[in-house]
Amino acid sequence: MLAILRPDSWNLPLFLHVLGAAAVTGATAATFVAAISVGRWPWLRLVVARTLLLAVFPSWLLMRLAGAWEDSRSSIGDGSGWLDVGYLVGDAGFVLLLLAMILGAVGVRRPQKLWPVRAVAVLSGVYLVALLVAMFAMSGKPGS
Amino acid sequence: MDRYQWLLFLHVTGAFLVLGGATMAAVFNIAALRREQPSQIVVLFKLAQIGAISVMAGMTVALVFGLWLVADVDFIDWSDAWVIIALVLWFVANALGSAGGRRDKGTRELAERLAAEGDSPSAALRARLRDPLSLALSYGSGIAVIAILALMIWKPGS
Repeated sequence: MLAILRPDSWNLPLFLHVLGAAAVTGATAATFVAAISVGRWPWLRLVVARTLLLAVFPSWLLMRLAGAWEDSRSSIGDGSGWLDVGYLVGDAGFVLLLLAMILGAVGVRRPQKLWPVRAVAVLSGVYLVALLVAMFAMSGKPGS
Repeated sequence: MDRYQWLLFLHVTGAFLVLGGATMAAVFNIAALRREQPSQIVVLFKLAQIGAISVMAGMTVALVFGLWLVADVDFIDWSDAWVIIALVLWFVANALGSAGGRRDKGTRELAERLAAEGDSPSAALRARLRDPLSLALSYGSGIAVIAILALMIWKPGS
């Protein structure tokens, strides 16, 4: 019912937020898959670092900024748990992404060490699960 | 959560599988454009295949639960223009994606053959990777999916 009652002015930020969220989920999955494959194909570490910098981070930025824009216009979800989950995953995700980008760069600069890319695999795997939990919370809006 | 919330969640999950899978496939396809060695291009195409599977699964899930939602709720009608246009775009996106996928399969097979025959860079493979028709089909499919997302949010005519 909320979707039908939504004013038109909320649509653009919502569209950009959903597009950014889907893109950050796909790019994080690509990072995870590439990072766990580095042991077999070491040249993939450059793909991991570039994906984090050029795909995951820009789409995270789109998701987060469009989400804040949408929240500033709409009162839906104010004080509810599902919105808190979205903010938590969005903001804590920035710390994880920053760490993953640094480790991805270290992995490229020190190709003899495998642990930085393994750490990126763990961080991107954790973030992917967190994004899926946020998707459940924000699309199903449990408790509302 | 009531039935509407569950149906909406499952429909959105399908949409996320499509858009996320398309992003994943695009990441590995773009990475393949920057590589010269056929064996590396084969690996990137195999990884892109995971994204393509996610897109195919997502298209089915989004369609099934989308149709269920239209049938179940009283504020969306089968005759709504945005519902009809979204269904047409769903078929367009599938057709473009399938045609692009068939051409990508040919490129991967060429890369596999070249990898087995010495793994040297090849002008023919480079040309196949940058084939404008293949790229137009794949990106056209992606644009159709983004247009469906826009329809779902704006719901013009409702």
